[in-house]
Amino acid sequence: MNRFLNAVFSDEPFSASRNFLISAIFWLVFGTTIGLTAGALMTWPDLIHEVPQLSFGRLRPVHTHGVLIGWLSMGYVGCMFFLGTVLSGSKRLWSERLGNVTMVVWNLLVGLGALSIMNGYTEAREYAELQGIFDWMVLAGLILTGINVYKTVLSGPEKKWYVTLWYILGALFWFPIVYVVGNRAFVQFDGLNDAIAGWFYGHNILGMWFTVGGVGILYYLIPRFTGNPLYSHTLSMIGFWTIGMFYAPTGTHHILQSPVPEWLKAIAVISSVFLLVPVFTVLTNFFMTMKGKWSLAADHVPLRFVMASGLGYLLTCIQGPFQATRGINWYIHFSNWVVGHAHMALLATFSFIVFAAVYYIIPKVTGRKVFSKQLAVWHFWLSFLGWIIMMLALTIAGLVQAAGWHFALPVDQWGMELEPYMFVRFLSGVMIVLGQILFMFNIYKTVFSKNYEPIPASPTGMAYV
Amino acid sequence: MEKRLNYLVAGAYIALVFVTIIVVTVYLPYLKFQPEASEVATNYEQEDPAVLRGRNVYRREGCFYCHTQFVRYQDRETGEMVAAGDYVHETPHVLGTERTGPDLSNIGGKYPDSWHWAHHVNPRAVKPGSIMPSFSYLSHDDMSDLIAYLQTLGAKRKQPHWINGPQEYRDKYHVISELVDVDSSAAANAGRGIYMQNCAVCHGVQGKGNGPVSATMAKKPANFTRPYYAAYSNDMWYWRVAEGVAGTRMPRWKKSLSDEDMLYLVAFLKTLPNDGSAAAGEVEVTEFSQLDDPNKLDDNYKYIENLGADHGAYQYGGGRPH
Repeated sequence: MNRFLNAVFSDEPFSASRNFLISAIFWLVFGTTIGLTAGALMTWPDLIHEVPQLSFGRLRPVHTHGVLIGWLSMGYVGCMFFLGTVLSGSKRLWSERLGNVTMVVWNLLVGLGALSIMNGYTEAREYAELQGIFDWMVLAGLILTGINVYKTVLSGPEKKWYVTLWYILGALFWFPIVYVVGNRAFVQFDGLNDAIAGWFYGHNILGMWFTVGGVGILYYLIPRFTGNPLYSHTLSMIGFWTIGMFYAPTGTHHILQSPVPEWLKAIAVISSVFLLVPVFTVLTNFFMTMKGKWSLAADHVPLRFVMASGLGYLLTCIQGPFQATRGINWYIHFSNWVVGHAHMALLATFSFIVFAAVYYIIPKVTGRKVFSKQLAVWHFWLSFLGWIIMMLALTIAGLVQAAGWHFALPVDQWGMELEPYMFVRFLSGVMIVLGQILFMFNIYKTVFSKNYEPIPASPTGMAYV
Repeated sequence: MEKRLNYLVAGAYIALVFVTIIVVTVYLPYLKFQPEASEVATNYEQEDPAVLRGRNVYRREGCFYCHTQFVRYQDRETGEMVAAGDYVHETPHVLGTERTGPDLSNIGGKYPDSWHWAHHVNPRAVKPGSIMPSFSYLSHDDMSDLIAYLQTLGAKRKQPHWINGPQEYRDKYHVISELVDVDSSAAANAGRGIYMQNCAVCHGVQGKGNGPVSATMAKKPANFTRPYYAAYSNDMWYWRVAEGVAGTRMPRWKKSLSDEDMLYLVAFLKTLPNDGSAAAGEVEVTEFSQLDDPNKLDDNYKYIENLGADHGAYQYGGGRPH
């Protein structure tokens, strides 16, 4: 018990980062398994009977909560603790103990939050389902993390900040505000204004947290893995400032055909299209940094994840502005196409970034080599192929569905046309969950196994590129 | 020192841009966009408390993940379009973003309570092929509250014909509608002839979707006697006949029938839907009463053979009513 408490409330350097990443992986397996169960219900609706906690309408929010607040957010915070320390030239986090307290609060809120949603205590707003107390816990977790990272970076010896630090500090500034504006525990509007605020949050959890954080991590990983210097610091700065300008007002494109004010829709559509600016500056920078080193991916599994996430980011961000325009949204909206798009962003792009970061950071903070490269390869292919299959199935299903709505036919006449796609989507889900279980096992063996291959545990003192 | 100032300026800039965006896209709508409650809006404080309780069940069970509550311009099968004033009392919103099931803005009053009850306990018993989860775990009270809520949705804007054709066909129908009085008995009888020559082979002589050719089809023809089709407006019928149904064997009849013929057809089709309680339509139909037994498929075959003998081979283009 003491050993456990010591590990949990440790004051060792990088323990908070390690604990955050390990918890994140646990919630990853939890969240994807719940998602798989919900996916199975789309194929076999009578699979689970008489269990209210496991009906589709409750599993879906638990899935999004588990992977968004649990896996991705905790993974991001773990990376931010590590990168904030390393890039500012500090020896350790400002307060490891505070970091670990944050970790405990966060784990509690993810676990209890999931239980509360399952039992029907929900705010019932998409992506903002958590109720009052848990909203406060998320906010507390974000603010504690923010204090910790800001203090570390500001007190570090490095005075010229690498672009990753800009992104990390930006995300930790933006997201708490987005969270406050979008959750009814803090700010309450009525009627359609509630939908406007809800989608301000619903889209900016992606824009001002996952995108900003993920791109920041990529800016560190790509030069680190390839050994190439960053192609252009100017481009990276343009990308950062334009994300801040164009991402935040896009939320209303989720309710583009509802009777909200037209000028608000116009702002949302225009800034959605303008997102191409940060996207292409960022991607140009990434791909030019990769120059001459693409072949490394043959042997370097984390780099493979990074490249796949670059591909995912490219596709997501071409698709995103495209489907936010009125002409396309008119047809695509309300269909599984959008579900496919969400999986492309959150699985193929941001999760893959954190996968790569975990494979990179865990050895650095534990001083142990990753247990098995072969398992990592399996993890890559199961996740990557699983994602491709899922995206294709959902996109095609979305087109069929949209056709159904647009031909003004009652859904019971064409709903069964979706069955094959939903089944394929379930199979791809099995692949993805299997991949994540291998991932969890691999990291578990890396961190806790008695026999391990040591590497010098000195993440500090590394000059960044 | 100068470096630090640079960072401060940058930070201030980020904060300023972000606050501006929040003010413009969240707070400004709140200030400027406060629509008056429309006549359709449900004021939950004045309703039976069961309705609000039912709304909470709707939210708790996550119904809004698969059912939307806003009818768009292009959603012609779900009834009247919504307006901003309809949502004044809808807090928190349940607009939804994905339709695995139909839009529910206008579901109120379309089905009896008992239908809803059966549908929630075992969706596939009343809607084969539905993938809606069973809500048999709901308590008796929760279920009746939920149904009370569903019955208020759009009930105030209920119209007899709420499925409309696309705008271009609505306009076109408006122009050509003077050709034929589609509500008249004569036009319906005229349409019957065209129907028997062109449509009955798939849709069946009584419009039950059981014509002889339907046996060979993966996608079964529509059964026009379903009460659902009573909601079709004239322009919807006209559009459906003219443009066919993509992905099925239903042809685009505008290629072979004149506008006038299609209007006669509309006049006849309008008489087919019924809820099982009344005789088909209000139009008096006197001929062909010998075909009232729908189960005698053989008779249908015979009938079609006879039809061919009477009218010459039944060809596209249809005949004028005799």
